[in-house]
Amino acid sequence: MKSIILNEYTKIWSYMAFRVIILLHFILFFLVVLVTSRLDITIPGFSTDYLYQFPNIWEFFPWVASWFNLLLAILIILMTGNEYTFRTFRQHVIDGLSRFDLLTGKVFLIIAIAVYSMLMVLLFSLLFGFVFTRDMTAGLFVKKTYILLVYFVQAVAYMSTGFLLAILFRNTALAIVLFILYRLIIEPVFRLFFPPEARLYFPMKVISNLTPMPEFLSISSGNKADPGNVDTLNLREMGILAEDLPVYLNLLLALGYTALFIGLAWLLLRRRNL
Amino acid sequence: MEPILNIHQISKHYGRITAIQDLSLKVGAGSVFGILGPNGSGKTTTLAIITGVISPDNGTYQWYGKSASAAIRKKIGSLIEVPNFYPYLDLARNLTLVARIKGKPVEDIERVLKLTNLWYRKKSRFDTLSLGMKQRLALSAVLLGDPDVLVLDEPANGLDPEGIAEVREIIKGEAEKQKTIILASHILDEVEKVCTHVAVLKKGKSIAQGRVHELLAADDPVVVECDESEKLKSSLIRTGMSASIEKDGNKLVIVLKSGYGARDVNEFAHQQGIVLTHLETRKKSLESQFLELIKQ
Repeated sequence: MKSIILNEYTKIWSYMAFRVIILLHFILFFLVVLVTSRLDITIPGFSTDYLYQFPNIWEFFPWVASWFNLLLAILIILMTGNEYTFRTFRQHVIDGLSRFDLLTGKVFLIIAIAVYSMLMVLLFSLLFGFVFTRDMTAGLFVKKTYILLVYFVQAVAYMSTGFLLAILFRNTALAIVLFILYRLIIEPVFRLFFPPEARLYFPMKVISNLTPMPEFLSISSGNKADPGNVDTLNLREMGILAEDLPVYLNLLLALGYTALFIGLAWLLLRRRNL
Repeated sequence: MEPILNIHQISKHYGRITAIQDLSLKVGAGSVFGILGPNGSGKTTTLAIITGVISPDNGTYQWYGKSASAAIRKKIGSLIEVPNFYPYLDLARNLTLVARIKGKPVEDIERVLKLTNLWYRKKSRFDTLSLGMKQRLALSAVLLGDPDVLVLDEPANGLDPEGIAEVREIIKGEAEKQKTIILASHILDEVEKVCTHVAVLKKGKSIAQGRVHELLAADDPVVVECDESEKLKSSLIRTGMSASIEKDGNKLVIVLKSGYGARDVNEFAHQQGIVLTHLETRKKSLESQFLELIKQ
């Protein structure tokens, strides 16, 4: 097991494209949260500062980070597609790895990248949160921290989807194009043929709903996300945003899809010639 | 003695194309087993199956009397088709990955790179190597950890004459250490020099196999020269001793039926009152034997 992890580490850190994409991911996230924090919106009663305060920041930053999950999925597709392009999956089996070891290596990589991404969100959440929160209490700080873990599951789920496509098509470019098409066009269009309540169960919908768009109007008007506050501006209650599934159900479904995608990838790896 | 590798009736099809049909082979410990055949005869498919990258449609194979497993493959050094490495990694890092997979000491990298004359390029990226160097690196990976069994598919591919000679010396050196070597090659001269056993494949089937000297001894023609060659020829045909007789200048090239040898020809000629001025058993080269088998 140790040798599999060490090998994945050797492969990624010597690979320029990996370092560039990770750096890009980090910088883009930082720039977005930095630039947004400097926005000066002068609407009476509204302030973007509230987004950067605990506990709202635990909702806001994972949502922003979720925009860049695409980069992480591309990274996994690239690293898996390379194994086919260079025929190194084949060589590893010849040298003595089992096909399950091939899968294990890539699952480790997915988890490692998701941990990195979660730690990045945690780091910036702490930095910005402590700067922007005035009346800091332990209760406020801890409230909604679970969203970080939900974000972790989301990143894993996105990358698992990319991993399955890379294993399925064994071609990096094709897998990336199909991942983007499926996420942005194919599934959204397909969902339209189903009733609204059924649409919530599609994989990309489930995964993206793990970190839903924060209720900006409600938060920036000073409401600290107290669901009992009847004076808040709640877009879902107003019918502007669709109702989502409960978080626990979304989480379970996302974990189920992740297991399904990795299971399918395992089946393909086991059955097909390398 | 239990064979190191026992292939039993394996078949592999790619759609309608039959790559291998009911192939059975046994490779004994310490033997150098050559697999010969024209392009598309199933050599590489056979080697890909025994190294785990392709699953056979039917049949079984065993290494060391056990079903194939990743643990067994770690004990075997294999080079199948082309060298497969990460182009962006240097030689040492590429071999480090292989050493970790095989559970062999990383310190052995220096030995194998020196053996293949690549030590001076250890910090070079794989994609900067020439084809011959890539092949030598693949050979380094095969030799990493000093495995008891080597599986080599066209190891001299892409090498210049000097490189081919180097590879031959390496294989000979490994064979002298009583290692089991399974070698697929187009260079029949190499196979003849190195191999103890050989199997000839044609369209996915084994058409001949056995010890190299036995295979070459079969059908060795007897060449005779005498003043009455026509008389000898017709007499031999009448006795049914010969399978074929061809005239080669003043000489007769006689392929005898099983159980007859040069001594029988000599005695027969003497009985007929024919004086032979020349009698020899002409040794066939593996190449000529191979070409004859393939033509059949």
